[in-house]
Amino acid sequence: MNLAIDLMQVLLLIAIAPLVRGVNARLKVWMQNRRGASVWRPYVDLLKLFRKEDMVPDTASPLFRLAPVILFAATVTAAALVPVLHASALFGVGGDFILLVYLLAIGRFFLMLGAMDGGSSFGGLGASREALVSALAEAPMLLALTSVAILTHTISLPGIVLATVVQNPLHLSPVYVFAFGAMVLVAIAETGRIPVDNPSTHLELTMIHEAMVLEYSGPSLALIEWASAVKLTLIMALLAGVFAPWGMATSASIGAMALAPVAFVLKLAVLTIAIAVIESSMAKLRMYLVPDFLGMASALAILAVAFTALMR
Amino acid sequence: MIQAAFNSFLAALLMIPAATLFCRRDSRMRRLSSLLLLLVLLVGAFVAGVSFWRGDRLALDLSWVTPFPFALTVDRLSAFFLLIICAVGAPVALFSISYVERHYSGSKADWMWALLPLFVLSMAIVVTASTAFAFLFGWELMTLFSAGLILIDGDSERRLHNIFIYLLMMHAGAAAVIASFFLFLPHAAGLDFASMRVAAASMPVGLRTAIFLLSFVGFGTKAGIVPFHLWLPKAHPIAPSPVSALMSAVMLKTAIYGFVRFTFDILGGGPTWWGYLVLLAGAVTGLLGILYALTEHDLKRLLAYSSVENIGVIYLGLGAALVFMANNAPAWAAVALAAALLHALNHSLFKSLLFLGAGAVADATHTLDVELLGGLLKRMRVTGTVFLIGCCSIIGLPLFNGFAGEWILFRSFIAGAEIPGISCAIVLPLMAGVLALIGGIAASCFAKLYGVAFLGRPRSLEAEQATEVATSMQVSMALLAAACVALGILPGIVLSPLMALAGELLHTQALSDAVFPITHTLPLIAVCVGAVLIVVAGVRRIRRISPTWACGLPALNSRMQYSSAAFSKPLRKVFSRVYEADRTVDVEYAQEPYFPKSIVYRSVRTTSFEKSLYQPAVDAIVGVAARLRRLQTGNMQVYLLYIFLALIALLVFMRFA
Repeated sequence: MNLAIDLMQVLLLIAIAPLVRGVNARLKVWMQNRRGASVWRPYVDLLKLFRKEDMVPDTASPLFRLAPVILFAATVTAAALVPVLHASALFGVGGDFILLVYLLAIGRFFLMLGAMDGGSSFGGLGASREALVSALAEAPMLLALTSVAILTHTISLPGIVLATVVQNPLHLSPVYVFAFGAMVLVAIAETGRIPVDNPSTHLELTMIHEAMVLEYSGPSLALIEWASAVKLTLIMALLAGVFAPWGMATSASIGAMALAPVAFVLKLAVLTIAIAVIESSMAKLRMYLVPDFLGMASALAILAVAFTALMR
Repeated sequence: MIQAAFNSFLAALLMIPAATLFCRRDSRMRRLSSLLLLLVLLVGAFVAGVSFWRGDRLALDLSWVTPFPFALTVDRLSAFFLLIICAVGAPVALFSISYVERHYSGSKADWMWALLPLFVLSMAIVVTASTAFAFLFGWELMTLFSAGLILIDGDSERRLHNIFIYLLMMHAGAAAVIASFFLFLPHAAGLDFASMRVAAASMPVGLRTAIFLLSFVGFGTKAGIVPFHLWLPKAHPIAPSPVSALMSAVMLKTAIYGFVRFTFDILGGGPTWWGYLVLLAGAVTGLLGILYALTEHDLKRLLAYSSVENIGVIYLGLGAALVFMANNAPAWAAVALAAALLHALNHSLFKSLLFLGAGAVADATHTLDVELLGGLLKRMRVTGTVFLIGCCSIIGLPLFNGFAGEWILFRSFIAGAEIPGISCAIVLPLMAGVLALIGGIAASCFAKLYGVAFLGRPRSLEAEQATEVATSMQVSMALLAAACVALGILPGIVLSPLMALAGELLHTQALSDAVFPITHTLPLIAVCVGAVLIVVAGVRRIRRISPTWACGLPALNSRMQYSSAAFSKPLRKVFSRVYEADRTVDVEYAQEPYFPKSIVYRSVRTTSFEKSLYQPAVDAIVGVAARLRRLQTGNMQVYLLYIFLALIALLVFMRFA
């Protein structure tokens, strides 16, 4: 029974990922007073891309076509570590946040390599910028989650959720506030949203992720797009699960399982609206201000860790 | 049986060079000795493996031959490091067979096959020695044989200068090690490890501290911790590739062995600040090592700096273990120590793989300059694939062997929060951030290396015409790559005996396996990733090959790709404080200020340590020496005066002392 729930959680995360993107795009469009595409548009796009040809640069090695597959496999596996509806995950207690961070690193590493394999300057440009952002984002992400792990005395993600969900939301340790702040900043950088990266730009001065995938087309591009949608959703689920797990089912009873999707959709909606507001109201940061942005995340994460010891 | 195998292993390592040098310039003899070396190393790996997994003790006392007590003992710790030496040595020897054949002939090849076994033997002596004399004997020989192996590749002035710096720093380090041994003398019954261990328990605090600091500096010099790392990027890259592999992957580990033996086994840990010192050294070494590696464009220099970084990671583990020991948490100290040792093993596997890969690249393209490579994966499928596995391992991606060690290190840092003392509870978890930062920069560094050297368009004619290297070279690299993947998916194979080893060393009950769910999760992760890979790879993808879009220009050429320097520029800019590059721009104008005739741009990164630490020291020594030169007048009467003054001084001293 539990295995079925866990499997369903992963599939749900993968299935709704394009929808989250579609809703987000729709919200942004609405705030900017424009008329936009349907929220189901990302699914149609994926379907279309899967039917198209895969254009491969003549200089590319087999790695070029392997990279999106590895990216997708690693991201999906990472999704299997995150509790979504029920406070458990496919990998059980063995699924910890260190593994999660490094599984996401697999995909990023291979996407950078795939970009470099195209043999044009855009791929290298994107990979180089991604290298900057990811090199500086890993530390605050791990530190922020470390502080929460110290508070809850466990490093497994379901364990963290279970330890947090029983606490009174109004009596939470201030460590959570710092850690949440750091995680939000990192999440923005990791998922390539404004103000770090602009997912809808095609201007070489600003693009990071888009420059990396410029040479990709057809099914390969579909895999990359889908994987990055899954990554966005899984990081949202992580934020919701670690910092606001209330509403998540802790037992497999019908009532709890019926409430959980409602709570999850609500939390997802709040985060999606937040992203849309930020992306509509802010400009992208200059490339060399991104380290400062991540430096702020690091400072918050360091404070979070320090407070775990100071407030014992 | 095992004992006999161990004895014959040592004897054979001594016989091979003798035989090789006896029958000089005989290619059949060389072939024989190379195969013998391979066989002997396999025997050694078997001996060490049995002793490591079962915990058998081996001993060999040769004191009846030598003027000083000379005894070798293999306990679990020694067996583990002997295993590293032999398990890495065997593929390297296999690689060397074709490598030596292709690059050297005549006496050079003879010397290669004579010195390689001796180099391995000296390292084996270091990690199995149980007396100070045997240890120092092996320690000095190790330096000399490796220097000899570097010399095979030529003795131009530049190379000699680098070797000189290597020897100089090694002897300075050895002096510190010797001094730390001699400090035991007033208290210990003899200079064997057993009586030193007994003596250490009852020694005054000051003496223990002095011994610790001396061994920290001495072994740190050999390991290459910042700021004693200066020799490493000078000496490792100029050696023949198999020797670079041995030096980086194995020789550095003997320093780790020495430090663990001294600090954990003989001294039995110390106050918390010892741990902090080692943690600081580890953090600085790791960060600076990888930041320097990031800017390198020479394949082997980059790998050498990355060795500095990995030594830093190992020191982070050792430092955490010392902190845990000082705070009455021996079980977690054992975990941190096991993590450090596991990372040492992993590093020796993937670093030897990468150095051999660099050797293969140099063999195929005759250059190590990354900016002249590119597109090699298409032309060298096997080398490119195994090099990719090496890169994935070194940046600690899950399912590759670098990950497990780093994971356990993270786990022990987080456990540091349970220590009652507030400073430890803050410092140790923050080290997780340092480790993550090192890992993040390492990922960028190796993405750059692999992307520029192996992917995209070839940047030179040599790279374009590269072909795959000899089969035995491919096999040796594939063996190491297979080991990297196997240990990446099943780290439990070595982790359980390592935990037992750490528990024995620290006299504590090892924590149960439940602390490491990762050993059970990794195979599942492998299955999951594999399953998704197979499913997704099965998706129908019609491929069409077409030129890369060139924005409407006629065609792209290799100069339009991102270069290695351009790739690392953003990170270099962020960490510009670390680099302090000396930049000069000379512009010669035909007509000021608009029409330059020529622009010369020079950017030299002298590591700030050379400029601000070593240069003043060298200047000071040279200055003092210059002043002392005035004593040497060459005048006989003055010398007689010196002798007379010395006599008076001695008499006065004897009278009052």
